[in-house]
Amino acid sequence: MRKLSFGGAAVLAAVVALSLPYVLNGYLIYVVDIAIIFMLLALGLCLSLGIAGQINLGQIAFFGVAAYASGILTTQVGMGFWPAAVLAVLAAALAGLLVGIPALRVQSHYLGIVTLGLSLAFTALVGNLSIAGAAEGLLGLPVPSFPGVDLSSHFLYYYLELAVLVVVAPFAYFVVFTRFGRRLRAMRDDNLAAASTGVEVPLARMSSFALAGFFGGVAGVLYAGLVRYVSPPSFNTDTMFLLLAMVIIGGRFSLTGVLVGVVTLTVVREVLVDYSTYAQLVYGALIVLMVVFAPTGLAGAPRRLKDLLHRGTREAAGGTQPFVPSGTPNGSSARTGRPALEVDGLSKRFRGVQALDQVTLTVEEGEIRGIVGPNGSGKTTLFNTVSGLYTANAGAVRLFGRDVTNAKPYDLSHLGVARTFQNLRLFGRLSVRDNILVGLDRTRMRWAWRYVAWPIGVLRSERELRLGAREILAQYGLTAVADAVPGELPYGTQRRVEIARAMASSPRLLLLDEPAAGLNAQETQQLAEIVRDVRSRGTTVILIEHNMGLVMSLCDRVTVLANGVVIADDVPEVVANSPRVIEAYLGGGDEVAAPDPVTTTEQEGAR
Amino acid sequence: MQDFLQTAIGGLSIGSIYALVAMGFSIVYRTMGLVNFAHGGVVMVGAYIASTFFLTVSLPFVLAMVVAVVLTAAIGLVIEGVLRPLETKDVDLMLIGTIGFGIVLQALVIIIWGATGRAVPTPVFRQPVTIAGIVVRPYDLVIIAVAGIAAAAMWHFLRATKPGAAMQAVAMDPDAATAVGIRVGRSNAIAFGIGAGLAALAGGLAGPVLYVSPSLGGVIGIKGFAAAILGGFGNVPGAILGGLLFGLVDAFSASWFHGFADVVVYLVFAIIVVVRPEGIFGEQTVSRA
Repeated sequence: MRKLSFGGAAVLAAVVALSLPYVLNGYLIYVVDIAIIFMLLALGLCLSLGIAGQINLGQIAFFGVAAYASGILTTQVGMGFWPAAVLAVLAAALAGLLVGIPALRVQSHYLGIVTLGLSLAFTALVGNLSIAGAAEGLLGLPVPSFPGVDLSSHFLYYYLELAVLVVVAPFAYFVVFTRFGRRLRAMRDDNLAAASTGVEVPLARMSSFALAGFFGGVAGVLYAGLVRYVSPPSFNTDTMFLLLAMVIIGGRFSLTGVLVGVVTLTVVREVLVDYSTYAQLVYGALIVLMVVFAPTGLAGAPRRLKDLLHRGTREAAGGTQPFVPSGTPNGSSARTGRPALEVDGLSKRFRGVQALDQVTLTVEEGEIRGIVGPNGSGKTTLFNTVSGLYTANAGAVRLFGRDVTNAKPYDLSHLGVARTFQNLRLFGRLSVRDNILVGLDRTRMRWAWRYVAWPIGVLRSERELRLGAREILAQYGLTAVADAVPGELPYGTQRRVEIARAMASSPRLLLLDEPAAGLNAQETQQLAEIVRDVRSRGTTVILIEHNMGLVMSLCDRVTVLANGVVIADDVPEVVANSPRVIEAYLGGGDEVAAPDPVTTTEQEGAR
Repeated sequence: MQDFLQTAIGGLSIGSIYALVAMGFSIVYRTMGLVNFAHGGVVMVGAYIASTFFLTVSLPFVLAMVVAVVLTAAIGLVIEGVLRPLETKDVDLMLIGTIGFGIVLQALVIIIWGATGRAVPTPVFRQPVTIAGIVVRPYDLVIIAVAGIAAAAMWHFLRATKPGAAMQAVAMDPDAATAVGIRVGRSNAIAFGIGAGLAALAGGLAGPVLYVSPSLGGVIGIKGFAAAILGGFGNVPGAILGGLLFGLVDAFSASWFHGFADVVVYLVFAIIVVVRPEGIFGEQTVSRA
């Protein structure tokens, strides 16, 4: 039934789209032509700003680069429209890459101002270049040639634009809902966790800008063919902010939303066509209202409405099932005696604080190693340095015999390291299933060439990936909550999702940072079961934990840190009775052996 | 050499204006972590109010400036009040919200004062003087002096007054500040008011130098923002140094590259951000996992 109505809607949309030129007059069809160009621009901005989380205020420059490139290549170089169009789109994608370079170093408002500055540099450049017609711009651009069709008619041009939109817009959806886009969304929600899960963040950022450039480029070429005149003011910040308004009002996280946003603002502007300044006032005010009251834009409206209607009756998202062990509970037989992780004289300093001081430890393959120590003793710093989030000041780290000192977190992930975080770092706007799919995706970024060359291959591998996710969801008892976002789930379930995401990457070494924090007794029991099972499948586990009962019963060996120094490293019984350890805890530390029940409930209450 | 000094004086003058804008950005950012993209718009509104009271109402320039500072500070409070619910949430969202305010301010300016700009005559010391072969517009020196006084006053306010100290505390740790009884909301509002007041000062001073038009806000806002980043975002002395440096870059770029000056300025800025994002005085921040 639902499929049927969806198909019906699609047919209806197609009929409306195809018949528009028969019902609209010459002026209105031109308005629609412009709106489609804005749709392409908005899709590009949505991909970089909403999907990849990169503040991109240079989208209008990509548009301009392509429009100008098309103009210059046709009028000054004498190329035909179509060859020039291909080069122009490439130029825009390249401009995207260039503007994306600062994103490797800075984010958020810095990135916003740099991209805005670069787009101003672009208008200043073309406004002074004689080949670009300087301040007057370029006039008399050619009509795109098409056998048998006169594209100088805005009615017929509409069909050209429609055809382009029908090809290019689905590509945006295709990207967003498969591996590549999922990684971009993961990076948007938490770039550190994304990097630790194998997302090559620098490449992902750059490619999101290249994608934005590509969509801006297609829009720019269509603009050049439609308006047949380019001048600097068409690509100024006012146009940029109009585009931004469309994306924000529509809902920056949703491709469909931004398309609706373009339609909405186009209508507003046409209604107020004689009062353009008032239109500007309206959309400026709408941006403000949207960010304060409806940050997900129009796209989030159905959800908000539903929440409003079902207020009070909505139950907490479905329960979890118990963890299902993989069936080979053969205890510690996975130990081989070879070293999995060797940390040698590792030091890390933060300005005045020596967080790690010559830390040396070796973890055997198949071992469960506990790392304990008072708060501030450097445990998490050790994890962050080993997993590539911090660069060490001195020392070396070897993973299965291979030197990985200061390797990037995503490289480590692909070498078989997975981790969880002390304060939970799930991808907040991704469903539980998507969180796990990000972990399952073991391809490198270069795999993404298939998106252009072999899209069917992408779809096929996506199906395999989803089957894998179903297995992991079932194993970790998360099937019932697969479509919930993490924030809707109880704290203990979120912890389990994070472990499932880490295990989805089939790691050889798993780092767990306080996995029992905030768990109740039963959940802690489940955790111990999970960790034993993980080890029985050959994965080495290192865990930081304050729950001494858990550490003592679970770990083969325990390393104790105090003030960044290893003060004990032995089997649990010996460590527990070591005078230095007791002194570190009772003398200097403020931490007791079991997790404080007050902080535990606080953490749960805060969710 | 004469050319060089001539250009340098012009650069320091416009740089002083950038410094005032950058200080406004920084005081708001350090206190509440908000990057106010509407700041350029506030500067523009300040310029319009100052020029209106100076030209149309015929108030003395100094009084016109005072009126502008007070009125724009009120606008700053309105912006802060509306965006307050976002303060603890998404920084990117807040940033986009201030862009929305910038759009609104520009539309309001066009509705009230029209789409065409206005030239403001130099209010004081119209005759240029020649010092050691360099022609100096005394008004340039006035701008530099006012910016210097404003910077000193700000420095004193933050170091030696109670609200200033409270603001420092909020900047360092809002939770701890709340715990010792500082009203964070009021502190934020004061910051926003001061920021907007500084913007009006910059806009009012810039009026006679630059053309007052609806596009003034965009240009001066972006360059002032760039100056703030150059000095180290959120750092008040850094904002002053960044402003002066950016003014010099601007002036020399204009004299060497003419029409392409802005291309060079923005490219240089982009390169600086890539090479040293923390600016001259900024501290490298550590991302915590």
